[in-house]
Amino acid sequence: MYERYHIPLKTVEPRASRVAGFTIERADNCINCGRCERACIYGVHTRSRSDTREMADPVSHLCKDCFRCIAECPQGALTISRGAEFQSLGRGIWTPLRISTIWSEAETGKIPVLGAGYKGMFAGDGYDDMWTDMSEIVRPTRDGIHGREFISTGVDIGRMPPFLEFEPSGAMRTSIPPLIEIPIPMVLDLTRMRTCSKTMAEGFLDAASRLKTLAFVPLGSVSNKTIRDMAGCVVPVIPSHTDLSNVNLPDEARLIELAAGLSWKKDYDALVKKFPDRVLSVRIEAATGVEDKVFEMLERGVAVANVQFTDQGRESGRNDRHAKDSLRAIHDKLVEAGRRDELTVMAGGGMAAAEHVPKSIICGADLVSLSKALLIALECRDCTKCESPSCPIDLPSAPASWVADRVMNVVGAWRDQLLEVLGAMGLREVRRLRGELGRAIFLDDLEADFLPPQHGGDDA
Amino acid sequence: MTSRAGSISASFPGIALDPSRRLDFMNRFSVRRAGSCISCGMCESLCPYDVHRRIEGHSKILPPDDRKCIGPSCEANRYYCVANCPTQSLSVSESANYLSLGDPRWTQEMILSTWMQAETGEPLPLDHPGNAGASGGGFDELAFVLPDTVPRFEPEEISTSMELNRRSRGARITVPVPFYGGGMSFGSISVHTMLARAIAAKKWDTFVSTGEGGYPEQLIPYKDHIVTQIATGLFGVREETVRRSRIIEFKYAQGAKPGLGGHLLGDKNTPDVARMREAVPYTSLFSPFPFHSVYSVEDHKKHLDWALTINPDALLAVKVSTPNDVEMVSVGSYYAGAHIVNLDGGYGGTGAAPEIAKKNIAMPIEYAVPKVHRFLTAEGIRDEITLVASGGIRTAMDVAKAIALGADGVVIGTSELIALGCVRCGNCESGRGCPRGIATTDPELERLSTFEWGAQRLDNLFTAWRGQWRTLLAALEMENISELRGRLDLMRYRGRRLKEGEA
Repeated sequence: MYERYHIPLKTVEPRASRVAGFTIERADNCINCGRCERACIYGVHTRSRSDTREMADPVSHLCKDCFRCIAECPQGALTISRGAEFQSLGRGIWTPLRISTIWSEAETGKIPVLGAGYKGMFAGDGYDDMWTDMSEIVRPTRDGIHGREFISTGVDIGRMPPFLEFEPSGAMRTSIPPLIEIPIPMVLDLTRMRTCSKTMAEGFLDAASRLKTLAFVPLGSVSNKTIRDMAGCVVPVIPSHTDLSNVNLPDEARLIELAAGLSWKKDYDALVKKFPDRVLSVRIEAATGVEDKVFEMLERGVAVANVQFTDQGRESGRNDRHAKDSLRAIHDKLVEAGRRDELTVMAGGGMAAAEHVPKSIICGADLVSLSKALLIALECRDCTKCESPSCPIDLPSAPASWVADRVMNVVGAWRDQLLEVLGAMGLREVRRLRGELGRAIFLDDLEADFLPPQHGGDDA
Repeated sequence: MTSRAGSISASFPGIALDPSRRLDFMNRFSVRRAGSCISCGMCESLCPYDVHRRIEGHSKILPPDDRKCIGPSCEANRYYCVANCPTQSLSVSESANYLSLGDPRWTQEMILSTWMQAETGEPLPLDHPGNAGASGGGFDELAFVLPDTVPRFEPEEISTSMELNRRSRGARITVPVPFYGGGMSFGSISVHTMLARAIAAKKWDTFVSTGEGGYPEQLIPYKDHIVTQIATGLFGVREETVRRSRIIEFKYAQGAKPGLGGHLLGDKNTPDVARMREAVPYTSLFSPFPFHSVYSVEDHKKHLDWALTINPDALLAVKVSTPNDVEMVSVGSYYAGAHIVNLDGGYGGTGAAPEIAKKNIAMPIEYAVPKVHRFLTAEGIRDEITLVASGGIRTAMDVAKAIALGADGVVIGTSELIALGCVRCGNCESGRGCPRGIATTDPELERLSTFEWGAQRLDNLFTAWRGQWRTLLAALEMENISELRGRLDLMRYRGRRLKEGEA
């Protein structure tokens, strides 16, 4: 029977205390008149339970910055300020807003929807200076909101022959390499996490199996029994220079990944010899000239290039390009050689918001891997004090089922947002989005074409 | 305050000071008085702004009224309270409330100056910080370069009008200001807000769009200034509402959520709203994307023809968002018979939209306008169609910049809501809706304002805007705002290219 892919979502309460975006303070000159309680429609102000003559401390995390209590207070006793803890969350592209957005997605599983217009910067670095296209009049083969349930987000992982060859007898000569299909263009990467306790790993694997996607784990961190139980969801990542003679992986490890070192060719050849019938991936750190390295991998016969960027979404090294430019270079090189489908390109690092998934894919990735975003989903403050017991939210002790549910929610919300983007463009499957640069709008092009030149003079 | 109102209304007969205690709460600076104060009264005797006061006969001085304080720059004055306090009990700093207001697109100064214009009708100076935001791109980085000459025209002689019909067919309609009000539906905003907009539109002889969701009876007296919007859900579209209007607007997409359709959450669909929309109260209402009867420009023409069959005298407006091929869409609309093409950019207002759509889908209006303007010019049809821009037009200067980029005029929405006291908290969509009573259908919250008050504030805002355009046009030696159209050469762009060039 046809079964539509569906990610079940439910509310998953936070374990840690909430971080208020705005802080309301009540000064001593409050006369407990209760006007703020009547003014606030969010329940920030209530009377004290123990003594109803007094107002309780404001519940700041419910505040939405509407200023009504400030305006109504006859004493001028209330002050609102931007929450200090909130403002200090994250670093670089992991802004307080992005982190709190992931928290709310992990809690509710819902797409963030707000009133009023866009509130952020006009454009920015990396993915912030590109926009995705939309289609005004949708063609019959493209359908917007109504066809959303029929938009496919499935992707293939593996080498696809560019064409099929047949014997004169009609039998197929081409041997079809192994191929893995997953229903979302997102996989979970546990190998790059700063912290991942046993229960957390259990939760991530559970989420991966319920999402029918893949979880990349360090070799040896997961038993062969678990790999079998998880029925194809676990991807062991083998460090470079590993002696493969003692490595035994069950058939359920459909995809095996090699972390590329200097001797990656030798390591890869050994891996092919040992596991000829699996999809094999090679993970490289993106740096200058990554497109040439990826092309070498293609020529060597690698099926999947897992290109990893820094957690800021850039190449490592001095002349660091943003993933956007790196991925475009890789995609272009493969397309020019006429061999794009022979290699699956996976991108990881710097996936800090839902829009980074379609934008990476537009720039040329087939799919993305999530890592830091998954920790943020578990309320990580990105404070980098991970060693227990210094983690302020005691992340390592998070129960597995809670971890799994939060991850499901974030991935579900991100998939729904991917559907919004695809629906607006009138695309019916995410495979079609890959490398569709014509359906993206880049700031550089727009600035060159449509704005006046700079010249001096007085401003007005 | 009264004397100020008098002086302003002398030069702008249409306006009246329309203050609101509700908007008077914002203090730019905090003045703190420590416990060491001995209530000597020195500060009261010094401060000319009435920050420090003591009630006659009271021994203690009142808490400082810091809304009137001019801030630490007062240091230069001999009467600076902080320096003169014998017990050093006073301090002045930037106020946390002020810093909590606004965002890079609508900065504190922009919100407060819009409130001020709505209160007094007094135009902003051309170099006021409230003219532009701090978003680092687009309008915020464009600035007019003013020539160093003596203006040739008196401000009162300068025309700010916009022609809405530049084709041979249909009624000739010219509005005296280069804008009309954009679609905000009954349900997304309160009936008071709708009425205030309609009254102001009538007074200024321009228009305001109903948005999708019909036409509450209270608006019928203003029907000559109301645009009936036909959107994909067809909510509130009936033969009489199409027949009633002088302009009919087809909404293909909305900039803040292009390609996603509309969604009125159940809580805001009160019985009144539901009746207008012919729907069941308290159910969520979807307005799907796209028009399922339109799959080509030919279908689009059929759509427009259908409206003309019902109302042959109407002007037709087409509201589209800003995809890559927006210029083709505009040409298609022209050939289908549209009089007005309204480009709605992504950074504009909305009652509810997915956050991912606002920033990421479709291009900002600052690029779409010149793109379409040039294409229509090259096609030789630019002067047969009225091109209006919306989606992120916040101030009078934004309007002027949009025109200089190539539009004939603009469509506004959010700036009107700000004039009515919106603080952009962004919670229009949830629960009972707007805590400030603007974008809500909650009967209790709605009562926070009256439509008379709102209409006067909008009237004042428009007066201020026109005053500012006239000052600008006079400085540019132009007699008519239409001369400004497409004059990119009058602007300077301070954006990224310059920064990179300097580096």
